[in-house]
Amino acid sequence: MRQQYAWRSNLLVSVLALAAFLVLAQMVRIQNSEEAVIFRLQSLSYASELRTFYPDRGEIYDRNGHLLAGNRTVYEVGMNLGAMRDPSAIALAVSAQLGLDYNEVLGQLTAPPEGLSYLVLANYVESDKALALQALQKDAQMQAAEGTSGALTGLEFSTHPQRSYPEDSLASNILGFVNREGRGYFGVEEKYNDLLAGNPVQVLVPTDPNRAVEIPHVSNGTTLVLTIHRDLQDAAEEILDNALSTYGASGGTIIVMDPKTGELLAMAVTPRMNLNEFWNYGVIYDTASEFNQSVSVPYEPGSVLKILTMAAALDSNTVTPATSFLDTGAIMVGGVTIQNWDRQAWGPQDMVGCLQHSLNVCMAWLSTSMGPEIFYGYMDRFGLGRPTGVDLSGEAAGRLKIPGDEDWYPVDLGTNSFGQGIAVTPIQMLMAASAIANDGHMVTPRVLYAMMREGRQYNVTPQFAGMPISQATADTLSEMLALSLEQESSNALVPGYRVAGKTGTAQIPTESGFYDATKTNASFIGWGPVDDPRFMIYVWLEQPSASIWGSETAAPVFSEIASKTVILLDIPPDIIRLQIAAR
Amino acid sequence: MNLDSVNHFVHAYRMTPWRVQRQWIVTFLLAVITLAMVAALYLDVTAQAAITGRRIQDMTYQMSIIQQSNGDLETRLASLTSASVMEQRALNLGYRPVTTDEMEYLVVPGYVPSQPEILSAAPKPPVNLAGNPSEYTQSLLDWFDQAFQQFGDGR
Repeated sequence: MRQQYAWRSNLLVSVLALAAFLVLAQMVRIQNSEEAVIFRLQSLSYASELRTFYPDRGEIYDRNGHLLAGNRTVYEVGMNLGAMRDPSAIALAVSAQLGLDYNEVLGQLTAPPEGLSYLVLANYVESDKALALQALQKDAQMQAAEGTSGALTGLEFSTHPQRSYPEDSLASNILGFVNREGRGYFGVEEKYNDLLAGNPVQVLVPTDPNRAVEIPHVSNGTTLVLTIHRDLQDAAEEILDNALSTYGASGGTIIVMDPKTGELLAMAVTPRMNLNEFWNYGVIYDTASEFNQSVSVPYEPGSVLKILTMAAALDSNTVTPATSFLDTGAIMVGGVTIQNWDRQAWGPQDMVGCLQHSLNVCMAWLSTSMGPEIFYGYMDRFGLGRPTGVDLSGEAAGRLKIPGDEDWYPVDLGTNSFGQGIAVTPIQMLMAASAIANDGHMVTPRVLYAMMREGRQYNVTPQFAGMPISQATADTLSEMLALSLEQESSNALVPGYRVAGKTGTAQIPTESGFYDATKTNASFIGWGPVDDPRFMIYVWLEQPSASIWGSETAAPVFSEIASKTVILLDIPPDIIRLQIAAR
Repeated sequence: MNLDSVNHFVHAYRMTPWRVQRQWIVTFLLAVITLAMVAALYLDVTAQAAITGRRIQDMTYQMSIIQQSNGDLETRLASLTSASVMEQRALNLGYRPVTTDEMEYLVVPGYVPSQPEILSAAPKPPVNLAGNPSEYTQSLLDWFDQAFQQFGDGR
């Protein structure tokens, strides 16, 4: 009996063992079959997918954290033609929500190009409009009979980022814009395009959840913080627009800079454009250089350049502030007679008087006394004829003719001394004069204050562009310029603050080579407070019709923007500042 | 009954065929149960890893959606507080721009004016888990493999 049970048990064990062996054998066979190889290869192709990650474009802020350029989500609305049920209902909904033409949409839906399975109906759709259309699609699906598709079935929505400028046209000349392909044009957007855009990364992304940790982290584009003060920029643009209207000028520029660091606090130009409607660029501007003429358009600056001539003469010990000069109203240079702006003789003058009365004859005497080598050596050290290196796209180099150039004539030594026959951009003039305001040190102007990447902020340090004159010369000339403004009761004066500066009225050369007597470029360059300059301002008004003189047009604009600057930068009046310093 | 007979009885009891069979069966069952437990544990760990991986994938997607949403909100906020809008709001409230002669300056001892600085967020933690102990990342088979390799290296 026991043996019979043992036999049965052994039989059962054998059968189970055989079954287990067969299962194992089948598993091994399947694993090593030809089909298994094919399946393994197929599984490998599904194990990961090649994906391109486009990082979000970095944002742009002003120095106080106001967003100047950001990103927002917009929608592409398309139609999956294979899933379309009711073209007329779709055309009606799309035309009502997105403002498209009903008949045009219906025509596209009912007669799409051959072989097309997906049709883009609208792109760059605002999110509220797209979401309203999505809600309508859901409602249509809810109203459809059970088991059937809604009337708006087939509508598809996909999102993508678009550049957005919350301040519209504010600082448009500084920012530039980004087109729909994501490329930056003009200003900071072009200059720092690679930094802002980041690097697209193409990687194999595993679909296996067990390998989720291998999903790559793609860094967004670098965020930039500009040196621009938004409220000062706004004020500068408003003052400039009012000035164009008041003085009948055809265009203008106002630049405000910190002379110690080169940080550009404001840079207003005309015309400006709403950056959110960048496609209007061709309507507003005729040439690319008009986008930001403060860096792209060289012009003959006129008398503002006299401060550089005087700086050279003082620094080379050609004259001192007390040197006397007898102004006879004319001087011969290179066989050509040079006269004063009023064609009058001003008699005996010291160097302050030469600046105060803006005497061309005196300046020509200074440049000829120095000689071309010294004079042009100083102009070269002041950076004329070379780009400043400001971090904005499209900077022009200007033109400084020197002896040996084909178009240089001996008379140029005289005319160049008072800003004729020489072409500079406003930003070049500002950089050159920064040496006078900043104890002889010339700063490179810049708009980038800091970069932020991966949660860290990297501040940009000031760059100095040499020391063309000594500290003593700079201080002496600053004092002379302040005195000249005070003695003539200039329109540029700012109550409570001592400022130094110089007007400029430059005739405009015509195509025939002569100067137009009726049209001028009015300019003013100045800084303050004189003993500790915190701001430096350049004003340029093109062809003012109310008055051709810089002293009557550009100088009051300087006073107005300087008054605004001291308020917005919290600069106390001199008397209070000196009291605080004395403690 | 002497000691020899007792030993003989015990030996005979131990050597009975049904008792030997039961020992084999129990041993076999123990092995099966052990293997089942190991398999269950492995399945559980694998399933949990898969679920966690799927959650990471979902959260990565959610993160990009939230970042987009943040960008939208930030841009909208900037539009609502733009210079022109704020100026208009101030004018509507009856304010007007201040002039230099209306400004009053007060000396506050020890006050240091704020520098232009945008406080950036703390550095993000590293996304890959390379720094975590292997116990949190490797599967059971990986652990066996590692153990065998260490055994081989040690020998």
